[in-house]
Amino acid sequence: MKMLPEQLGFTLLTLPEGRALVIAAAAAVALMVALPPANVDRTTLLTWGAIAIVSMTAIASVPTIDLAILVALAIAVLQAAATGRRSFAARMRAPALAIGLLALGVVLARIQGPTILARFAAVALVAGIGAAVGTLPFIHEFDPDERTATSPVPWLAFLGPALAVAVVSRAGELVPSAAGAFGAMLIGLGLLNIVWGSIASWGTENGAAAWHYSFMADWGLALCGFGLAVADGQRAAVLVLFGILVSRLPLYLWSRQALREKMLDDRPVNLLAAAMLAGAAPFAGFAARVLLLRGATEVYWPLALVIGLGLLLWLPSSLRLGRSLGLPRGRQAVGVGVALGINVAIGVYPLPILALAGL
Amino acid sequence: MAAVTGVAAFTAWLGASIVVLSDGRRGLALGLAFIAAAFTALAAANGQWPAAAALFVGGAVAAIQRLRSGTDDWRLMPPGSTSKLLLAIAIGVVALWIAVSVSSGAGAPLRFAAVTVLGLMGARMLTARDPAAVITAAAGMALAIATASGLAPTTPAPAPYIVAALIAAGVSVLRVADENVA
Repeated sequence: MKMLPEQLGFTLLTLPEGRALVIAAAAAVALMVALPPANVDRTTLLTWGAIAIVSMTAIASVPTIDLAILVALAIAVLQAAATGRRSFAARMRAPALAIGLLALGVVLARIQGPTILARFAAVALVAGIGAAVGTLPFIHEFDPDERTATSPVPWLAFLGPALAVAVVSRAGELVPSAAGAFGAMLIGLGLLNIVWGSIASWGTENGAAAWHYSFMADWGLALCGFGLAVADGQRAAVLVLFGILVSRLPLYLWSRQALREKMLDDRPVNLLAAAMLAGAAPFAGFAARVLLLRGATEVYWPLALVIGLGLLLWLPSSLRLGRSLGLPRGRQAVGVGVALGINVAIGVYPLPILALAGL
Repeated sequence: MAAVTGVAAFTAWLGASIVVLSDGRRGLALGLAFIAAAFTALAAANGQWPAAAALFVGGAVAAIQRLRSGTDDWRLMPPGSTSKLLLAIAIGVVALWIAVSVSSGAGAPLRFAAVTVLGLMGARMLTARDPAAVITAAAGMALAIATASGLAPTTPAPAPYIVAALIAAGVSVLRVADENVA
């Protein structure tokens, strides 16, 4: 005899990768609430952080892709309805495109017909992931002065990872005949974002926009990892997303005050932050990059060469972002120290994180 | 039964087209009501009565809520709507081609309704500036996503329909104005 929730289809099947990311999100929110940036109210941070965690949990927990897309739609409307600098319609556009593409992909995947339908479904699913996260060619409209909660950053850091994991983990059963094309498109999109994100992050005039592009560059690595469809690639992707949540996002929030005051600095702590953002050893980004290169070599070694060359592009933009932290003081200095410490711990011993993600 | 599902699929396209072509609260509410009625009929024709009930209730609440707020007229096909009309026809033709010609198996009306409403609601959300139109399109899209779960090889549980109904009703209760822009 099934219980009522099971009869309704509410059996919660938490994806292991999703579970790991929810824990990372909770750690990131706890860190930011405990050590909030200057002039930011703890209650506001806690409220938006809790909403983000609940949203991620819902997307990672629901048993079908339809429900994950519906949850994303509800969250998109709620986020766009909050007071912000851009209009409701403008803020709904990118999530609406993502949700429409993902839903269309699912419909095409379920329709019986020629193989070309499955390939179109794969295109729609990959485009939907890109649009949800806000990677090239679907970069979300970004206003550097907009508050983070209503900006595209929550899609890059919280909802994007959960939605991407929800889609990628089901792609095998949705488009079994086009799984290769699905992976190849993810890798292509990933490479495009590695190059574009890191160069734009270096070249753009606005400091906040530079951070936005750096999220995209990191997402390029994650997309390549997901597309490789080997264990090392998945591990790399999870570590990159962990890095986005527990390091890049807090550093971005702590840098905003310095960015407004245009207080750049070149102290050792700025260089350490730059090294962490660039994925140097012994930080988590280094472990992720090694796993990604190993996975790429396993699949097709010239791909590892291309990714390796792309990784060099991180250096100038990371130095710029490290400087944009200014001179961290008080709570902010402690926060940067904690973020560096967590990142080193994950980089040196990533196995617990990977085990949590079932990898 | 084939006639019922065929009429329901056409009604879904008609409702989605009205949402695309209308800027006033009456037009948007009518379009949403057509979509909800069509999806309810399609779910009922498949023998999914709890799903049909959820879609009916969610769609009805959403349509009534839309009727209660927004621009106070029909504003059906205001000047400059030719491109929208062409879009509605083009998406309908492409959806019909996919549902009937490209794909195989039973359930062509369901395929047509799902693809055409998803396409038109997506287009409406991307082009609209009025929050009422965006919210109406979001409600229609939620109902379409739930209905599309009926295309799965196994009989879907009522959960997507219930969640979609809650979303359609919930977002329609939201009162968003561009005064929210800080």
